[in-house]
Amino acid sequence: MCGIVGFFAKDGDQAEVGQTVLGMLRALGCRGPDSAGVALFGRPANGSFAVRVKLGESGDLQSRAKRISGLLETFPGCGEVTATCAYARFEAGGGTDLDGLARAIEMLDHDFEVVSIGRRLEIIKQTGSPDNLEETYHISKFRGTHGLGHTRLSTESRVDLSHSQPFWSHGLPDLAIVHNGHITNYHQLRRRYEQRGVHFYTENDSEVVAIYLAEQLRKGGGLREALGGMLRDLDGSYSCLAATEHEFGFVKDAFALKPLVMTETDRFVAVATEEIAIRAAVPGSYLVREAQVKEVRVWQR
Amino acid sequence: MKDVMQTSGTFQPAVIEDIQAKAASGLYRIRGWGTLRERRWATFDDLTFLPCSLTRIPLEGYREKCSTKTVLGKRFARKPIELEIPVMITGMSWGALSYNAKVALARGARTAGSSNTTGDGGMLMAERENSRTLIYEVLPSRYGINIHHMRMADAIELTIGQGAKPGTGGLLLGSKISDVIAKQRDLPVGVDQRSPARHPDFLGPDDMIIKVEELREATDGQVPIFIKMGASRVFDDVKLAAKAGADVIVVDGMEGGTGASPAILQEHTGVPTLAAVCEARAALEDIGLYGEVQLIIAGGIRDGVDAAKAIALGADAVYIGTAALIALNCNRPLYVEDYEQLGTEPHHCHHCHTGRCPVGITTQDPELMKRLDVDEGAERVANLLRAMTLEIQMLARACGKSDIHHLEPEDMAALSMEASAICGIPLAGTRKVFGR
Amino acid sequence: MAKISCGGRATREINAEIRRAIAAGERDIVVEDPGARHNLGVAVLEPVRLRFAGSVGYYCAGLIDGPRIEIDESAGWGLAESMMNGEVIVRGSAGNGAAAAIRGGTVVIHGDAAARLGVSMKGGTVLVAGNCGYMAGFMGQKGRMVVCGDAGDAFADSLYETTCFVGGQIQGLGTDAVVEEPSQEDAAWLDATLAQYLPGARRGQDFKKVVAGKKLWNFDKREWKVWQEAL
Repeated sequence: MCGIVGFFAKDGDQAEVGQTVLGMLRALGCRGPDSAGVALFGRPANGSFAVRVKLGESGDLQSRAKRISGLLETFPGCGEVTATCAYARFEAGGGTDLDGLARAIEMLDHDFEVVSIGRRLEIIKQTGSPDNLEETYHISKFRGTHGLGHTRLSTESRVDLSHSQPFWSHGLPDLAIVHNGHITNYHQLRRRYEQRGVHFYTENDSEVVAIYLAEQLRKGGGLREALGGMLRDLDGSYSCLAATEHEFGFVKDAFALKPLVMTETDRFVAVATEEIAIRAAVPGSYLVREAQVKEVRVWQR
Repeated sequence: MKDVMQTSGTFQPAVIEDIQAKAASGLYRIRGWGTLRERRWATFDDLTFLPCSLTRIPLEGYREKCSTKTVLGKRFARKPIELEIPVMITGMSWGALSYNAKVALARGARTAGSSNTTGDGGMLMAERENSRTLIYEVLPSRYGINIHHMRMADAIELTIGQGAKPGTGGLLLGSKISDVIAKQRDLPVGVDQRSPARHPDFLGPDDMIIKVEELREATDGQVPIFIKMGASRVFDDVKLAAKAGADVIVVDGMEGGTGASPAILQEHTGVPTLAAVCEARAALEDIGLYGEVQLIIAGGIRDGVDAAKAIALGADAVYIGTAALIALNCNRPLYVEDYEQLGTEPHHCHHCHTGRCPVGITTQDPELMKRLDVDEGAERVANLLRAMTLEIQMLARACGKSDIHHLEPEDMAALSMEASAICGIPLAGTRKVFGR
Repeated sequence: MAKISCGGRATREINAEIRRAIAAGERDIVVEDPGARHNLGVAVLEPVRLRFAGSVGYYCAGLIDGPRIEIDESAGWGLAESMMNGEVIVRGSAGNGAAAAIRGGTVVIHGDAAARLGVSMKGGTVLVAGNCGYMAGFMGQKGRMVVCGDAGDAFADSLYETTCFVGGQIQGLGTDAVVEEPSQEDAAWLDATLAQYLPGARRGQDFKKVVAGKKLWNFDKREWKVWQEAL
């Protein structure tokens, strides 16, 4: 159970996405004291991919980043590794075998997890509050086009970095999701995916949302069809935001069980669990309304 | 030669009757009381106390004090509630119970230095007048909810569900929706009233945090806020309730009672009370709030022994419901012909849902209600509460405690492997804890 | 008139200041920059006028008895929940569960209402100038609900005695909801009430009236199809 937020600038690529998403998350803090995370879409696409790797949950992690540098020597086209707190980050060239790279990194150390890969996507998440996230990673400095954010109140699964949101759909670059609610046919869906060889990294039911949307997008439809498919195939409660390189959207479940409000002007779209988040971080004059039952909205750049 | 009578273990007489009743009505069975199945799961009966012998020194009864004072709501409330004893009366609706029953419970609890709780239907002024400490329940139906009454209460109990039927709403059949009950609940007379399963204005633990704050605002932060749940995913639910800001968490186990509910829910939903208290304590320890957030356990508490064991396992207090009604004469051999008219007998009656309670407790019929004398009933309830308290003290003293709240799991041994595994207590005769 | 500025303060402090103002005899209070905070104006029991110059969060005007509360922009979940009496006016839209479990008084929403408008309402009047969302009026016990625009799916599901009126289209009726012609008295009441709170809305006799079919009031196995949905 949590707070989710999303911000989408309609023009330009230097919007203060980090600052805005952070401000929205801070206002929702009481909903989710366990962890906080953001999925920010920035850097103009120039063919290469940003890769972010979790080095571990705690302790001295930066020394571990060296092992990744070592590995990257066998992957031509990959840049230098920088390490900040729990994350290592580097850029991989456009032609890199991303699946192979991700597998190789995760085989290096059982604590390593590739948290996001994307031409524009960067996921940064950790246990603790949005303020902790800002202190460590300076989210407010990030400029780009759109972003998602999440603060978490753990219900049934663990509190650690990997179990935090946003979730990247492992394997499909640039797709990130945040989910508020509980998927009640999660175990059944998980078993079916595992039968087909899909690997789950957590016991957090929100992870299956990312896997499901990735599967739908790979079939060729856009984000709208994928989010609409959730209404058919995923049971339970959800307000869910998803974003890719060029798309940003939400879906609300068939019984309107979880809150989600939105506002749209000719310059931006802002979506959040509560209006207080939008008012706290997005200046200007605009009307906010609650999303309706089964509503699916997607915006494109 | 006649065949030996063999009864199928699968299609037992009760099952045959159930199927045939459904074949006639097309509806699931509804009744009162709680689970009727034989208790084959681990219960408080699977634990025994280890009194002092050589390693520890017992306390004398009568002379050496054994305190029973109980304080609830210390976490955030400005005015926690202080009780003389750790046994409290749980919420039971006026509607399910008669007016005389509600007043008798209030008075009996007052005499014994304990608390009473309203129920699904709002507060009777007579309850407030006759209660020493009154807990005001806010349920999904919101029947009778009145801000002025709320502000007269000593604590607010936000009820998510109850042990007999977690995850579902209440039920009061038409025969008990009398004029006066209908008016209290704003319902048409004589309907089969179905309460919703969910609260109307919050749906998840994250919204509940805001709801708890609203209740605090409405009561100026003075009184404790309880969150009550039927035992289901206790380990997760108790942590969420604590994170939502509850002062006190109430967990109501599977053996809990109800005035009317589908039989299958009473039998096959929820987790037994023994398991619930152990999970609840483990949940609070997991988030470092054990001792800060108080725990009330309910669900088939029958006597001081059950209460003492629940307290030893981590409860700060227990609620009784069915036991209190039994003290009021429920299932007593009086008006026996009326039990027979219902198709039952004393000691076997669980027909609360019919509204024809032979002893005037779970009825709205004024003639039947007259059979329950309020003063006599109050005295019987007070007697039960006192007797239970003496039982708890006796066990506590035998274990060397001058305060019943000092009872611990280590004061007991398990009599079965399941109880050992569930409670983390060694199995008697082995010095070993199973299943951990 | 008293002006209260929220500044960076928490709801508890703001509510405390509102209470102090009322105790000091103020009868007309404006609260600026409410910023969609939760629990503003909860349990106000005096017949004062309290205006929030902005948006409010959850449970604004919850558990009130007597005041007139105005909200300039939007409201979150549970607006005026369990109100005993009073008036609550929202110029913008309201979130889920607006007027949940109200026992009296009047709630007016100038924009749209989200899901479960008037759920379990036990009296009073709810008026929406715009549209309402999913499952409005669910288990409504008494009182009246008026939606001038369109109603969402599962409208007036499992009603007891609440009377509902819809001016526009009904996406789908809930279990045991039946549509009737409004009576002369209904039309007169609608005209008078709308004239008072939503002038310019359509005429009373143009509304559809929705009430309980009463098939769910006492279980009857012959109405099994109806009960299958409800149970």
